[in-house]
Formats: sequence, structure tokens, C-alpha cells
Amino acid sequence: MTTQTEVVGRQTTEAKSTIWLRRLRALAQVWTLLALMIFFSLVSTSFLHPNNLNNILVQVSTLAILGTGMTFVLLTGQIDLSIAALVTLTGIISAHMFTAMKIAEPWPTVAALGAATLLGIISGIASTRFRIPAFMTTLAMSLIASGLATWISQGRTYFTISPVAQFLGSGRVAGQDSFRILPIVAALCLLIGFLVLRYTRFGRYVYMTGSNPSAARLAGINTNLIIGATLAISGFTAGLAGMVNMGRLGSAQPQVIDSFLIDAIGAVVLGGTSLSGGRGGILQTVIGLLIYGTLRNGLDNIPQIDPFMKQFITGVVLLGALVVNLLFAGRAGRDRT
Amino acid sequence: MSESPILELNHISMRFGGLQALDDVSFDLREGEVHALVGENGAGKSTLMRILSGVYTEYGGEYILDGQPVKLRSPHDALYRGIGMIHQELSVMPELSVAENLFLGRQPYTRWGMIDWKMMNRVAEEEMQKLGFDIDVRQPLENYSLGIQQVAEVLRVILSGARVLIMDEPTSALSPSEVERLIELTNVLRALHKRSIIYISHFLDEVMRVADRITVLRDGRKVSTLDSESTSKSHLISLILGREADATLPSTEEHKGGISLLSVQNLSAEAFNDISFEIGAGEIVGLYGPVGAGHFDVARTLFGMFRFDSGTISVDGHQFPSNFSARYAIAHGVAYATESRRKSLFMDTANYANITLPHLNRIGGILPQYHKEVSVARQAMEAVNVQPCVPDNTVGTLSGGNQQKVAIARWITFPPRVFVVSEPTRGMDVGAKNEVLSILIDFRNQGFGVLVVSSEPETVLAVADRIIVMSRGKIVSELQNSDDLQKDALMRLI
Repeated sequence: MTTQTEVVGRQTTEAKSTIWLRRLRALAQVWTLLALMIFFSLVSTSFLHPNNLNNILVQVSTLAILGTGMTFVLLTGQIDLSIAALVTLTGIISAHMFTAMKIAEPWPTVAALGAATLLGIISGIASTRFRIPAFMTTLAMSLIASGLATWISQGRTYFTISPVAQFLGSGRVAGQDSFRILPIVAALCLLIGFLVLRYTRFGRYVYMTGSNPSAARLAGINTNLIIGATLAISGFTAGLAGMVNMGRLGSAQPQVIDSFLIDAIGAVVLGGTSLSGGRGGILQTVIGLLIYGTLRNGLDNIPQIDPFMKQFITGVVLLGALVVNLLFAGRAGRDRT
Repeated sequence: MSESPILELNHISMRFGGLQALDDVSFDLREGEVHALVGENGAGKSTLMRILSGVYTEYGGEYILDGQPVKLRSPHDALYRGIGMIHQELSVMPELSVAENLFLGRQPYTRWGMIDWKMMNRVAEEEMQKLGFDIDVRQPLENYSLGIQQVAEVLRVILSGARVLIMDEPTSALSPSEVERLIELTNVLRALHKRSIIYISHFLDEVMRVADRITVLRDGRKVSTLDSESTSKSHLISLILGREADATLPSTEEHKGGISLLSVQNLSAEAFNDISFEIGAGEIVGLYGPVGAGHFDVARTLFGMFRFDSGTISVDGHQFPSNFSARYAIAHGVAYATESRRKSLFMDTANYANITLPHLNRIGGILPQYHKEVSVARQAMEAVNVQPCVPDNTVGTLSGGNQQKVAIARWITFPPRVFVVSEPTRGMDVGAKNEVLSILIDFRNQGFGVLVVSSEPETVLAVADRIIVMSRGKIVSELQNSDDLQKDALMRLI
């Protein structure tokens, strides 16, 4: 809700009390996050330990990179289902070029990121030129990408990866125990996304395209170009996520990790970005990511919980969090219809 | 025709806030009768129709069906009691076959629980033939003309058991031959099927031919109910307008404005045909027509929102390519405000962002600058007197009239050569109307060309220097506006 809160913040004619009420509602996700953190710090002694907080950051970093691109796409009212497959494909391209073809860096990285971006652009062109919903084009693209990954790798796993990926995924700032590079990459990604969405003309066009496509076209915005560009951005961030993921794991596998897709969409929407476009933003995505990370990690820190119950509990708490969000933001949402 | 009414409305009144939409209106419908409702926009026809069809359920007065007072709960309840509505915008399913459309929601089943296609197609064929249409009912409905689609909709409502049909502007989108067929259809319906029809239309010639009786509404009151045989078109017009009609038509004059800014030559598309006109510098041209005449589509086409098949559009002598975009139109001096504010404004977004959106590239480069934007927007809002003039407020917080001013304020900072505006004053009170119209006159006085597209005769008469009248996709007349030109002259032409 960047534009939304921004607007609310600058209201001059409304009564102060309404402004506060609206602010409270706009912050619904923050309350959810705080509630979860307080809950886990009470029931688990290890949760608030700095090491564990650091763990949360590392755990959500890959998701944060994916979520940045996904935020752009969702804001235009579209969706990108190809990101998990693109993550796999970039890893395979980079590893294959580096290990099997013995091509020196930076080319494997450039080629991998370029391929992911290119596939995003192709999805964009297919969606806008031929008016196929991005849902379908990116679904097809996900098959294409995972198919390419399988074909290039011939089904094998690469255990040698390029130093660039290693640095991004498991490098540290200084010595052995210092801060990891990965969260910094993720934070940079989010920051750039935030600045672009909030302060550039392109960012404004993204919001307007999602908020009211016909009005955007009437104002002379090339909505096709905007949608295509967001899919290209999402392709690029998926590529970047693929590099860091490979670096983190230390290997490149041809199997697609499907949870990346659902988790990225889940975190972005949980933060408050609307699936129908026009509302939300990177700040919301950050909150959504933290809620997601807290939830996943928090349950791991309660030893009493049966590990076979974790997924079930995650689902229940997630549903609860969504309901809480809605209760907070619900009135505001209804007022707008 | 039996004399006992099957449907009666007694002393119906209805208010919307401060507006008395209907005031003590009584209406009755006999079996096998076509009863027409006529009146200007805002006379109360739509409100009455919505009460009749069960959309509005809170009103004063009595609704009597077959001699019994009833309280309709919903349009569905109305249909259940035999009152069916044919909307101006058809609600057929184009992809389904003709037969499927006729049996929508009530498909016959075989005893195995499967859809009985044989029976469905046979009955559909028979029913269409009874009305004089020998067509293949297995074809998707979209393969047939709009006229046939309308027949299918009428037949569907009848087959679902409606004894009373309410037809809202049924002919506005039809070609002349299709209109003839529809009039025949209404005759068949009343003679063969013993249905009663409430017929709402702007086309008075058509109304006089098709209706047995005509009820005239004006300003929410019933003026009179007349037998159509014993009345004349000019008498009807005078009743609709509430004063004596001017019998003589003003003469058509040639345009003698300044240099031509916009030139449209032989423009044709799906919704209109062979449209040619020019707008000179410092001239307001009114494009008037009833709803469905295609004039709004002409406006959309000028802004690149609607493809055209043939013809040319030129601004300042520069001819536009065949599929230009809205961006292209803006860059070449065309501005456009649609008839739908909801479609053209971002209600949840601040005024300033709405106003600067088309010109962001000229206001702040790659990075929009909030302060610059607000000051640009404030100037534009002050120029058109948006109240309250707070650039940071969202558009949704403004009244309808002020929203319209925001839609216009968009084009003030970087003035276009030609400003196309559709229904600039729809749904506004008199004060707001006059303000908006005077803004358009200001535009003209600064030497720009303005095209006012409207279905409200008052609007074009109030501001236009010249009026082009469209009906059913064609230009039927071009008039020089003057104080003598009255509404009835425009209404007579369509």
C-alpha cells in the first residue's frame, strides 16, 4: 500500500481520528508479524537469539528476491507462475557452462541471468501481443524452463558451481562468522524494487495499470509494455534467486523446487499486495516475508511440536494470519467498493 | 384486445435523496396491448421500468397484478410472476447455440438425466418459425445479426413464461430493416401469443407505429396517456417537452469556422458508417444522437481506443495512421474525457496523480517530482474550480461534478488541439453542469477545437456552435446552433 499510505499520510481535510484508524488498518500485517514474534519468543527460548534471527533472514532471502519481481507482476494484476522453473534453469545453465563447457566467469552468470530475463520477456510478449493471460503463458514458460533444465543437464546434478554463485549464496562479508552476503543481496534487491516502484515514472505506471487498466490506457499509458516489463523483471529476479539458491546449496539440480512459487506468491499476498493489482508494494512484501519466515522458523524452535504436524500447523496459522489481516483491513477494503 | 388491465401501478412515488424521481405516477397495461413509455432523459422512465421489473422494491404506491396487489422482491420474482425484461444491452450468451439460449437455465432433460437436445432443437426451431425466422438453431447465436440475437432474447423471456414484456430501447442498435422486423415481431407477439408489451423508446415514429397507447412522463410526473391513433408526433413532442413545439426545422448551414483543426473523412467502423466532419479552431461541435447511435464510438475512435475500418482522421492536417494508440493521439493534440468517469479516473488515487498521469514525461522526467506535480495539479484544479481543491485527496472523495472537472483538468496544463468530451454533464446538478459547460466554452475561446458528444439535447444545445446529429451509426443532419434551435428539432431528426 505504498501509494495508499502515502496518500493517507498527506490527507489534510480528514479528521485526525479517521486518519489514525486508517493507519492502524494499513498496518494490519505489522500487527500480525508482531503477534507472531511475541508468541514465539514466549513459547521458545531460542527464538529471539541473534543467531536464530539471522537464520530467519537467511531463510527468507531467496524468497525475498523472488518476491521483489512477483510484487511488480502482481501490482499490474498479472501473475508469474514460471519463477520456480526459472530458478532451476538458471542454476543449470550457469553450472553447465562453468563445469561442463569450462567457460570462465562472468559468462555463465551473464548467460543464466540473460536467459531468465529473456524467458520473462517472451512470456510478456505472448501475454500482451496475443492477449493470452499471463497465468497461462507463464505456466507454459514454466514447463519450457524446466524442460530446458532437464535437457541441458540430462538429468544429472552438478556439484561444482561457479565462484560468483558461491559468493552470492554462501559468501560472508569478512571472516568465518561474519554476516552473510545473501541477506545483503536480498535487501539490495528489495531496496531497488522499492525505489523503482515508489519514485519512478515506471513505478507509477505499474500501479496505475493494475489499479484501472482502461483508465491507464485512456491516460496514454502503454499497458502492454508495462505488463511485459514487469514479467521481464520477474524473470530477472527469478534468475538472481536461481544463482543464490545454487550458491547456498552448493550444487545445481535439475528438479524444480515447486514450493518457491507458492511461497513467493504467498509471502507477497500475505503482506497485503492485492492479487487483482494496483494495491500493495515492496514494504508490504517485506512484512509478508518476515511473517512467513517467522512462522516457518518459529515452529522449528518449539521442540514439543511433533515434526509431522508442522506443515499442518503452518497452514492453520497462515489461514489465521490472513483472517486477522482481513479483520484489520476489512472495513477499509469494503469502503472502496 | 381485452379492456381489463393485467397490470396496474397506482400513485407510484419514489425519491432518491433530494430528487423526486417519480411523483404520483399511475400506469396500466391491458392484455395484448403495446403500451409505450416516452419522455426525456431523467423523466422517470428508467425508474418506473425498474419498479415494474422488480429491481426497486421500496417505493410509495400500489403495484397490482391480475387484480391482486403484489410486492415484487426481485427481478427473478418478477419473471416468476410473468413479467420479463428485455434490456437494451442484450443478455444472451453469444457462444451458445440459438436453441441453448432459448432454453437457458431450463434445458429439458431425457429420463436418463441428460439434456434432451432433440427436443430442445425441435421446439426452438418451431418457435423461431412461428415468428417467421427460418434459421439453424444449432448454430452459435453469435453467427447471427444483432436483430436475430434480440429476437432470441425476446423469445427466451416469452418461453420462460412472461406474459408482460418490458422492452427498453429495443431498436437503438438495430439497422432499419431489423427495426421493421422487430415491429412485426411485436405485432405477432400480441396477436398470436397474447402478450402485453411495455415499450420504451426515443424514436417517436416507431413508438407511434407500434404502440396502442402512449404514456408521456416529464420530470417524474405523468403528463398524459394517449391513444396513439389519435395523436401526432408534434403533439407528443410538445407533451414531452412541456411547451409548444416549433413546427419549422431550422435550415442546415455550411460550416464557416476558422482553420480546420480536426478533419474526419468517411470514417467507418463496426458501430458507425461513413462519418465525415470538421472542427475549426475556436469552435465547439456537438455530436448528438440517441443512446446506441454510435456517436460515443466515434469519440473513442478519435482517441485510438477503437479500431476503424476505413476513412481518415487528421489533426492540423497531419493524418493519423490506421491503428494509432491513445498515446499517439495525446502526443498529436487530441484529448479525451469519456462518458464513464469510473473508467477514466483512478478513484483510490490522489487528484494530483490523476491529473498528471498523461503528462508525467513532461513534468518530471524519469522520477516524478511530488512538489512539481502537486503545483501543476493545483493550478489545473483551480482553473476548473474543483471543490475542495486539495491535490492530495483521492478522486473518490469528490462529488460527481467535481470528478468530471478533474477529468477535464487533466488536459489543461498541456492544452490539446482538439478536446473530445463525451457526456460532460451526465448526472450533475444544474450548478455543476453550467460550470463544466463554461469550462468547455473557455477552451473554445482560447482557440481550441471542442467536440461535445452527448445523448442529452440540452448539453449540445447549450454549448455547441454547430450540431451534428447521428442516428443508427450515420450522420443524419448538421445544424447551425442558434437560440431558436430547440430540443424538438433535434428529437425530430432521429
